Amino acid sequence: MVYDMILPALPFIGGYLLTYSLYKMKLIKKALHINIWNLIIGLAFLISAGAGFILLLVMELNVKLPISPELLYWHVELGVTLALVTVFHFHTYWKSAKTMFVAAKRRRSQA
Amino acid sequence: MIGKIKSVMSKEKLVPALSIEKVTSTLSREKVISTLSKENLSSALTKIPMKQKLFAAISTIPFIALGSMSASCATTCPYGMVNDPYPGQCPRYVDLNGDGFCDLSQATAAATTDTTTDTTTDSSTSDTTTSTDDATTSTTTDQGHGNGTNADVTPDQSTDTNTTTLPDDPGSDYGSLNGDGTNYFVLPITLIIIGGYLFTYYLFKKGILKRNKHKRIWNLLVTVGYLGTGITGVILTFMVNLGIRTALSQSLTFWHVELAILMVVGTLIHLHIYWRPFKNMFRVLFGFKFNLRKDPSRAKGTSK
Repeated sequence: MVYDMILPALPFIGGYLLTYSLYKMKLIKKALHINIWNLIIGLAFLISAGAGFILLLVMELNVKLPISPELLYWHVELGVTLALVTVFHFHTYWKSAKTMFVAAKRRRSQA
Repeated sequence: MIGKIKSVMSKEKLVPALSIEKVTSTLSREKVISTLSKENLSSALTKIPMKQKLFAAISTIPFIALGSMSASCATTCPYGMVNDPYPGQCPRYVDLNGDGFCDLSQATAAATTDTTTDTTTDSSTSDTTTSTDDATTSTTTDQGHGNGTNADVTPDQSTDTNTTTLPDDPGSDYGSLNGDGTNYFVLPITLIIIGGYLFTYYLFKKGILKRNKHKRIWNLLVTVGYLGTGITGVILTFMVNLGIRTALSQSLTFWHVELAILMVVGTLIHLHIYWRPFKNMFRVLFGFKFNLRKDPSRAKGTSK
């Protein structure tokens, strides 16, 4: 089984560009654009982390579930999606994300 | 003179006497308060919002689940892989027969180790194991869901078809098949992260730590968790896709899991920190209405 890396990512890249351009053209509100992607990142996290947690439990308990390969597959695919949507999340909150790294330097320079 | 001394002495005696009285009076007050509080305890408990009770109950579930974990005796691949080659997809890789494939991914591997010696000495074989037909043997080896490009479905070369056993027999002697263990430190790391969060939250509530600093610490940790999990995950996926097999894959898997724990717990903390925007998400998208009367100015949906 070869994991698809690009195909599952394409609709999300297209979707983000679409909602972002709609927001930039003021056809939708910023809140809607942001919250759509917050929901998507939440769902991707839930499925990917949930599948990962079940796989971890399965491994710790040394049990074989009939759905283990499917779980692993979807864990990987949704993980790829999660990684991608996390980048979008950073893009959305870039201003506050920057302060996470820059604030200390600013303080030093002010002092 | 003597009278003065007497008066002084009496004062000295009186002072501790008074202080003792005060102490006893305060103790009795405390007792009364405590008894009153005990009486009102049940009523106070009922005043706790249902949401908080529910949250507390739900938060204990992962700990109960992890606490109750113990190794069982199943001897099949937890990922359901077939003929997983060296060094294996997971840290449970075991190759007792030295054929270059994980024994757990081979349906008949466990039996092979036990019965190969028997086949050389005794042709009747399987005195300690339950033998199966040739047909069933071939189906068990070819069964399952392959994973990765290297998961070739090839018939087991080392096994004698007459000397196979059922793989999930917990009574068989499997040596160290389950002994390698995967110590992912799920519970300790979770507890350390939660402890750290409670500590910084306490400092923040006491005013020792600024709100922004508290947020920044946990945002950084979540970022580290996401970056680490994402990078190791993507590398592992590429390795599986390209068929790259190195000894690094096990340590990569280990760090993938460890950082994923940080990511998951960190995300839950992130949700706690940004609870209000999280609730607003449902309001904006689905029109759910929450009680936002406390600070309506923050209910715009995108605050950070």
